[in-house]
Amino acid sequence: MLKYIFRRLIWMPILLLFVSLIVFILGVYGPGDPIEVQLGNNYDEVNADRIREKMGLNDPVLVQWVRYVGNAAKGDFGKSYVFKNRDVSELLIPKLIVSAKLNIISFAIAISLGIPLGFYAAINYGSSKDPFVVIISLFFYAMPVFFTAPLLILVFALQLDLVPAAGWGGVFDKRIILPALTVGIPGAAVFVRLIRASMIEVLDSDYVKLARAKGVSEIKVLWKHAFRNAMLPVVTIMGFSLAGLFGGSLIVEILYGIPGVGRISLDSVYSRDYPVIMAIVLLGSSALVVANLIIDFVYTLVDPRIEML
Amino acid sequence: MITKFKLILFSLLMLMILSCGGNDSNVETIGKNSNVAPGLASSSEDNTSKTRDNIFRLNFSDPPTFDPALVTDTTSASIIVEIFSGLVTLNKELEIIPDLAESWEISENGKTYTFKLREGIKFSNGDDVTAEDFKWSIERAANPDTGSLNAEVYLGDILGVKEVVESGGSIKEVFGVKVINSRTLEITIDEPKTYFIAKLTYPTAFVLNKEYIEKNGESWIDNPVGTGPFILSEYQIGQTLKLKKNINYWAEKAKLDGIIMNLAGGVSMAMYENDEIDITGVGLADLERVKDPNDPLNRDLVNVPPQFSLNYIGFNVNIPPFDDVNFRKALSYAVDKEIIADKVYSGLTKPSYSIIPPGFPGYSPSIKGIEFNEELAKEYLAKSKYSDPSTRPRIIVTIPGTGGSPGLDTEIISDMWNETLGIDVEIQQVEWATYLQDMNRKRLQLWAGSGWQADYADPQDFIDVLFHSQSDVNHGNYSNSEVDKLIIEARTEIDNNRRFLLYNQAEQIIIDEAAIFPLWFDTDGFALVKPWVKGYEFTPIIVPKFKDVEIK
Repeated sequence: MLKYIFRRLIWMPILLLFVSLIVFILGVYGPGDPIEVQLGNNYDEVNADRIREKMGLNDPVLVQWVRYVGNAAKGDFGKSYVFKNRDVSELLIPKLIVSAKLNIISFAIAISLGIPLGFYAAINYGSSKDPFVVIISLFFYAMPVFFTAPLLILVFALQLDLVPAAGWGGVFDKRIILPALTVGIPGAAVFVRLIRASMIEVLDSDYVKLARAKGVSEIKVLWKHAFRNAMLPVVTIMGFSLAGLFGGSLIVEILYGIPGVGRISLDSVYSRDYPVIMAIVLLGSSALVVANLIIDFVYTLVDPRIEML
Repeated sequence: MITKFKLILFSLLMLMILSCGGNDSNVETIGKNSNVAPGLASSSEDNTSKTRDNIFRLNFSDPPTFDPALVTDTTSASIIVEIFSGLVTLNKELEIIPDLAESWEISENGKTYTFKLREGIKFSNGDDVTAEDFKWSIERAANPDTGSLNAEVYLGDILGVKEVVESGGSIKEVFGVKVINSRTLEITIDEPKTYFIAKLTYPTAFVLNKEYIEKNGESWIDNPVGTGPFILSEYQIGQTLKLKKNINYWAEKAKLDGIIMNLAGGVSMAMYENDEIDITGVGLADLERVKDPNDPLNRDLVNVPPQFSLNYIGFNVNIPPFDDVNFRKALSYAVDKEIIADKVYSGLTKPSYSIIPPGFPGYSPSIKGIEFNEELAKEYLAKSKYSDPSTRPRIIVTIPGTGGSPGLDTEIISDMWNETLGIDVEIQQVEWATYLQDMNRKRLQLWAGSGWQADYADPQDFIDVLFHSQSDVNHGNYSNSEVDKLIIEARTEIDNNRRFLLYNQAEQIIIDEAAIFPLWFDTDGFALVKPWVKGYEFTPIIVPKFKDVEIK
């Protein structure tokens, strides 16, 4: 078991090396250049080239990459090109924490609404309650955030005056309510559909029929036999949500005025702020690798038939 | 300055992004008498009876830097001019006025400027400002180790700056700047250039506290010490930026206790209506509503004066079919700008038939432009060597953006070309950095969606910069010896009336030859300002403006 985890973790740096190399090459050979964007109409080839030389941007890609990897291994992700003299970590960490807080709350909403509702729909499969739940959840799933967010602001901030229209004050501030609902409710819809489908399938399986035939109480059948098995696909999706924990949602962040990573991710691409782009990509890749590992591990807990080899 | 044209607003996402700002308020306000975070302040009418904090609240974005030597963008510059200052500054009428220098003399050959500093001026931490600080600041800005991208642009006229910039850091002294005594500074430039003094209003030439920076090293910028009317009191990246009054400011102190800028975004209009911010721009989507006199917001509506900008379609005269003047004219005659301005932009934009914007020095109403005329358009097309569609080169218009949809004007114009002349134009959208790169390499065939905005109030910034055959910014490779001659003559002409006349002559030739296709001048914009905010003025160029704002 430990050996397995160790083996998986060993792959991580190698994977990250590949990812960073690809992003590096795309950055250098892709069109556009950070100095050019910043100079705008004061662009002048000689001056720009002198600055590039000074910043090491004229070195061969591999040299730049090796230098970057060397520094990153020491925990130094460089300084932003756009935000002058600011360490990338100083720039990103506060934003990552904000995004993570919002994502955790939204995730909690998604799970706590989605799983019971999905379960409810499944055990009422065949009655009119099931399609009702499904339709409602599909409705919320289909709503784009750039529609729901302004709608919620209009109703709850402007008409009812219950919460401010925008801003951020952490998890225990009422301004988190609207954005968390905006992200959480469509998320809940995903879990409703997933749990429902999975439960219906499991409830129709032979071992559930057998358990019922044996006279096991319905509650025990549902919880012990069906629910645990139905959780398997849900764990996968939860795991990937976990990987996205530090990701930001651009539109939600902008509409609600949340200082998360969504906007800086986009801006750094437009302004060719390579050190920031690199850090975000590497962080995202690491999160995905770790999340995958956790998913595999949780499988073995949920389903004893699965073993780690 | 190259600008993305603001009519990009029309794509939904851009509209949201641009009209967004936000209010952070995990913050204690700067004013002493408040512990209510501004976002939680209750809304609407009852506010008028309360004592209001003497704090101005607005949405803003993260400034890339607070270091005057490093600034290249307008966001940073508009904050830096509040925290720092220099020898001279601009007033709201855009005239150059003395700031830390109380007066200056220019030598007879026009090359040596002797500045007399004011008596008793202090940095915000109480240190005295000396001529030595100025010399050191200029040398620091020029030193490549500082990392300034545009020291050469703004200071390069000063003798010795080029040497420092090009030395890679080995030469540190700028010999053109001399400290005569602690209150007298002498600056020598390479040639008599009347516009040199204007460059000193830009932050690159601002004064920094030598002793403070040498003592604190790189971290000085976290608590910058300057000579402006405000001090940076708190900055949380992506969240909030707070300024407070500088009690050591040399002139009349700021009337505000402080300013809170929210950097996190949010729907600006909604925040304004909810009393979370004191000022907001009004996008097209909300304009009709706030223009209605019955709307409560209507009393807050103010006009924002137009920017000095020109939006145009660029032709690259080196790339067929735009090497043919008749073809360019055919396209120019085929577009009815009046209809687009009226029907598509509801009069929010003003069709332009010349180059220098109205109200700008050197603007001439007598320039005769190319106005819509179907017959002439067809006539010029027939005259051009590309009248036969089968042999006509493929035409691609490049526009900046990521929205997937081009600006409405670009779409309609290409439709008009197609309907009137049967000319097909493909639209290619690339994102801003790529667009800039291709534009600087002068390899775009036809481009739209950007424009030119004045960096300083002189027609030289339009005619010389955009159309002299050797100019870096002449992205369409336009070249006309007569125009070049007029421009060069204007450079050394002292009499302004005559100089403007020379520019107008050049302008008329450029227009007659359809070197570009002018589209729009900026018109008044709209903003909402809370009734308790007094003294806030909108200006077309960045000037220090918060010190006169009052909350009443």
